[in-house]
Amino acid sequence: MARSTNGDSLKQLNHNGLKWDDSGKNGYHKKPAEQKHGAGNGVASRQNKQESFEQAPMYVAVCTYMGFGIVTLFGYFRDFLRAVGLEKCNLAQEREEQKDFVPLYQDFENFYTRNLYMRVRDNWNRPICSLPGPVFDLMERVSDDYNWTFRFTGRTIPNVINMGSYNYLGFAENNADFLKTVADKVQQYGAGVCSTRQEIGNLSIHEELEQLVANFLGVESAMTFGMGFATNSMNIPALVGKGCLILSDELNHTSLILGARLSGATIRVFKHNNMHSLEKMLKEAICCGQPRTHRAWRKILIMVEGIYSMEGSVVRLPEVIALKKKYKAHLYLDEAHSIGAVGATGRGVTELFNVNPADVDVMMGTFTKSFGASGGYIAGKKELVDYLRCHSHSAVYASAMSPPVTEQIIRAIKCIMGKDGTTEGIRRIRQLAENTRYFRARLKEMGFIIYGNDDSPVVPVLLYMPGKVVAFAREMLQRKIGVVVVGFPATPITEARARFCVSAAHTRAMLNQVNTVTSLQWP
Amino acid sequence: MPLGDCWKHLSWFYYQYLLVTALYMLEPWERTVFNSLLISVLGMAVYTGYVFMPQHIMAILHYFEVVQ
Repeated sequence: MARSTNGDSLKQLNHNGLKWDDSGKNGYHKKPAEQKHGAGNGVASRQNKQESFEQAPMYVAVCTYMGFGIVTLFGYFRDFLRAVGLEKCNLAQEREEQKDFVPLYQDFENFYTRNLYMRVRDNWNRPICSLPGPVFDLMERVSDDYNWTFRFTGRTIPNVINMGSYNYLGFAENNADFLKTVADKVQQYGAGVCSTRQEIGNLSIHEELEQLVANFLGVESAMTFGMGFATNSMNIPALVGKGCLILSDELNHTSLILGARLSGATIRVFKHNNMHSLEKMLKEAICCGQPRTHRAWRKILIMVEGIYSMEGSVVRLPEVIALKKKYKAHLYLDEAHSIGAVGATGRGVTELFNVNPADVDVMMGTFTKSFGASGGYIAGKKELVDYLRCHSHSAVYASAMSPPVTEQIIRAIKCIMGKDGTTEGIRRIRQLAENTRYFRARLKEMGFIIYGNDDSPVVPVLLYMPGKVVAFAREMLQRKIGVVVVGFPATPITEARARFCVSAAHTRAMLNQVNTVTSLQWP
Repeated sequence: MPLGDCWKHLSWFYYQYLLVTALYMLEPWERTVFNSLLISVLGMAVYTGYVFMPQHIMAILHYFEVVQ
């Protein structure tokens, strides 16, 4: 199914190398793709898709550092002017009486915020005044004093193409027919639950949702939580504790890292998607045991994600499972971005790689991305989920999921599974796969450096220099396309990028327009 | 209009220069400061070259015994 759409969309594209006049505009020459992540060419990587992480030419890195250096120097200069009193400080400052105390605002983070982020912060936190569908409306805001304060002009910018929302299957919609069941449930249950799951907030609609999620994923049982971040950070401490070992991927999300640190287990980091590094760590863990006592580890947990949201790369699931079985470790798979977005019927990376879901010990995911709602789930064997119902902080203390949100997830899952009687779900999944492949292929043709697997709907386009990142975001907005750009603290300092999120609701015309505008950026 | 074309090319180059050196993020007066520093340093280099290059070249040629 997925293969046939691949064939259809590829017929229209030119894959015989670049169009040199287009790539000349961009300024970077494409070198042959270097596979940054080593061997391990098992069955999976042969049938699935290359992942390329091209390195940019050396002069790009030099210019990036030079740009950061210049802005940092000017930052010191401005700080000096503020200290001397020639310029007013618009950020928080210590009071006169506290000038001799330990300084509060002199660390690097505050320096960076004051002198780099504030100059360009009109590219982030833009207020949106419609639903985050394929197009949306932005509120127009201007700044008179170089982004220290904003004011709204009162106008909106209508019909901006949305390339930033995680709306992979297009379920963020306000079509009255589709949302009828949601409206009915609000009438039945109200909007808030006013309690935690364990006390008196366990509604029948929650039970229905958990049953549906378990069926959808093909596992025994599932439990849902109100917030995706809290699902990770509050449940990992319930699963592992002191004396356990966590092997976590280099580029894991903050929620996984926070959960791992809160649990008190020992954390070791292996290189991103690198099976040799993981195997070496597993061997060392089994042979040497805990640090001083050399006792065996109580539990070894490997934490990986389905799709990594900053890189767009997909985990090598069959190889991780083979390693896990060989060394008798457990696997925690975070499918926040991949559930609903990859796989022939939207079941996530387990379906993409044809892996038995029972092989993954803990399957975690969120409903924020592909289902257009909010919240998260943990699924697996019945004993695991029953244990979590009693021992997880999120289950005991956090408020239960709101009924209209629950019903939105139920209708989205039913749509994907085809249980509502239409083929809308499968149409959306195929549309997303086709849009992803088309968009990625066109951008690559133009000569941009794109990270990640060809199947992932997250498309990071590398821009490298801080000036370009900012200019890109502003120019795209002027031409009515909204993108998310990410810079230093969230990515390595030389790899600033713009991240496009393809959606099933985007039409071919919208993607073409985005491509055209992107290619016009440089001249 | 070749002059119009020339102007467009120059302003594109200036824009690229602003992007690459991250001057795009700075305020106009900071750009002026940086540009004047850069131009004065380059100007001094060019002037020094103009004044001293003939002597250096004669010294090199003398060393390699091309000229007495």
